[in-house]
Amino acid sequence: MSGLLLAAVMLAGCSSSGSGSQTVKLAYVAWDSEIASTYVVKEVLESKLNKTVELLQVDAGPMFAGVAGGSADAMVAAWLPSTHASYMEKYGKDLEDLGVNLDGTKIGLTVPAYMKVDSIEDLTDTAVADSMDHKIIGIEPGAGIMSATEKALKDYKLDGYTLVESSSAAMAQELQKAYDANKPIVVTGWTPHWMFANMDLKYLNDPKGVYGGDEQIHTLARKGLNDDQPDVHRFLDQFQWTPEDMAKVMVAIQGGQSPEEAAKAWVEANPDKVKEWTAGIE
Amino acid sequence: MNIPKLPLGRMVEKLEEWLTLYFGPVFDFIHSVIGGMVEGIEALLTFLPALVVILLITALAYWIGKWRLALFALIGLLLIDNLGLWGPSMQSLALVLAASVLAVLIGVPIGILCAQSGKARNIITPVLDFMQTMPAFVYLLPAVSFFSLGVVPGVIASIIFAIPPTIRLTNLGIRQVSSELVEAADAFGSTPNQKLFKLQLPIAMPTIMAGINQTIMLSLSMVVISSMIGAQGVGAYVYRAVSQAKTGAGFEAGLAIVVIAILLDRLTQNALKIKHK
Repeated sequence: MSGLLLAAVMLAGCSSSGSGSQTVKLAYVAWDSEIASTYVVKEVLESKLNKTVELLQVDAGPMFAGVAGGSADAMVAAWLPSTHASYMEKYGKDLEDLGVNLDGTKIGLTVPAYMKVDSIEDLTDTAVADSMDHKIIGIEPGAGIMSATEKALKDYKLDGYTLVESSSAAMAQELQKAYDANKPIVVTGWTPHWMFANMDLKYLNDPKGVYGGDEQIHTLARKGLNDDQPDVHRFLDQFQWTPEDMAKVMVAIQGGQSPEEAAKAWVEANPDKVKEWTAGIE
Repeated sequence: MNIPKLPLGRMVEKLEEWLTLYFGPVFDFIHSVIGGMVEGIEALLTFLPALVVILLITALAYWIGKWRLALFALIGLLLIDNLGLWGPSMQSLALVLAASVLAVLIGVPIGILCAQSGKARNIITPVLDFMQTMPAFVYLLPAVSFFSLGVVPGVIASIIFAIPPTIRLTNLGIRQVSSELVEAADAFGSTPNQKLFKLQLPIAMPTIMAGINQTIMLSLSMVVISSMIGAQGVGAYVYRAVSQAKTGAGFEAGLAIVVIAILLDRLTQNALKIKHK
C-alpha cells in the first residue's frame, strides 16, 4: 500500500514539471542589492517575455556552482573582478559572462561620518586604534573584501589591528549598534548597501589603491542558454542599470514593500529603460 | 616532524570530479526519485486550501493526541497562515517528510544489520560519527555539483545529518531484547525472520520510534542550511532575514519551524501509544 502511494506521489511529482522550455531559473543571494536586481529581471521576464520564472535564493558558493552546473540558468549577482574572484577561479570556465549590469559599486573601509578619520592612514594613530579596541569588523571569511583588507593591514602597516571575521549581517548589526551609541567603529563596507541609506557613513580614502575601486556587478549565464532560450539570453545581455535605479528599488523594499511590488512599480515607472533591455526580442 | 602536508584536500576534490564524471546517471536517477517524492508530497499539502489542510491536521492531532494537541495544531497552523508563511512552511514540511521517510526506509534495515552482526556495527559506527559531526557546510558544494540546485541536495544533506539516530537506536533496541526471550524463540524453532518480526522488532519498537523521532527533529534543523542550496521553503526566509539583520522577520519564520517541529514531535511520540491501545 505504502509502495503504491509512493509511486502515485512520484508520478504526481513528475507530471507537474512538464513545460521546461519556458521556465527560467535565476539564482541569487539574499543581499539587498541582489534582491532588487533579481526581482526586476523576474518582473520583466514575466511581464514582457511571458516566461515562468523560478527564483532560487541560495548562498554565494552554491549560486556559482548551480549556474556553472546548469541547474540554474543565470544570475545577475556576480561582483567582479575581486569580491567573487575565488568563485570565478573555480567555476569561470563553465560560465558565460554577459557583461556588466551595474557599474559604480565600491568596496572599502567604512566609518560613521562623525569620526575624525578620513584616510586609512589615519588608523595608525594609537588613540584611534585604542578607541576601537584594535578591531576592524569584517564579514564572511573568503569574501574578496576580506582578502583586500588583509592586504590593506599589511600595506598601511596597521600592525596592531585584527580583522574580525563575522558575517554581513553581524557586521551591519555591530555598525548600527556603535552608530546609535555614537561610538567609533571601522567596518568593511560596500555600495550598494542599505546601511548607507540608514546611517551617515563615509569611506576612508585609500591612497595606495588597495581596494581597487572599480568593481562591477556582472550577469553570468550557464553555457548553452543562447541555444535554448535566445530571447532570455538577449535580454540578460542587454540588462543594465545604474546604482540610482537600484537604490530606488532597495529603498522601496526597505520601506516595507515586498520585492515583487517594488520591482513591478519600478518597471512600470521606467518603460524606456525596459524597452532598451528588450530591444530586438520578438 | 618533517612530513609534508598530506594532499587530503586535493584528493577530495579529485574524488568529487571523478564522481561527477562517472556517477552522473546514478545521481540523476536519485535526483528524479527524490525530486518526484518531494514535489508529490508538496502537491498533496498545497492542493487543498490552507484552512482545509489545517482542519485535517487538527483532526489527525485529535485522533492521536486528544484535544490538547489538537488545540495546539489549530492555533499554531493558523498562526503560520496568518504570518503569510503557509506556502513556504509546506515546502519545508515536504522536504522534512521526504528526508525522514527515506531516512527510516534506509536506516531501520541498517540498524537491524548492525544488531545482527558485530562486524557490520564496528564498520558502521565510525561512519555514523563522521556523518553527524562533519559540518554540513562542507558538503553543500559537492551536493550541488552532484544533485544541482534545488530541493534534492537539501534532502540528501538532511538525510546524512539525520539518519544516525534511527540506525543507532534500532540497533540498540534489538540488542536490548532480553536474551531469555531470544533463547526461548530459538528453542521453539522459530526462523530468524520470525524471531525478528514477531519478537525483536515489536519489543524494540519504542526505542526505534525514539530514534525516528530524533531523525525528524534533526532533519528539521537542516531546513535553513538546505535553503542555502536551493531548497527554498521557510528556511530561505530565516536565511534572508539573517542576511539582512531583520530580527523580527527571522523570528517569525523561525516560529513557523518551531510549530512544525513540536507538532511532528508530539505526533510521532504519541503515534506509538495509539497502537498499543
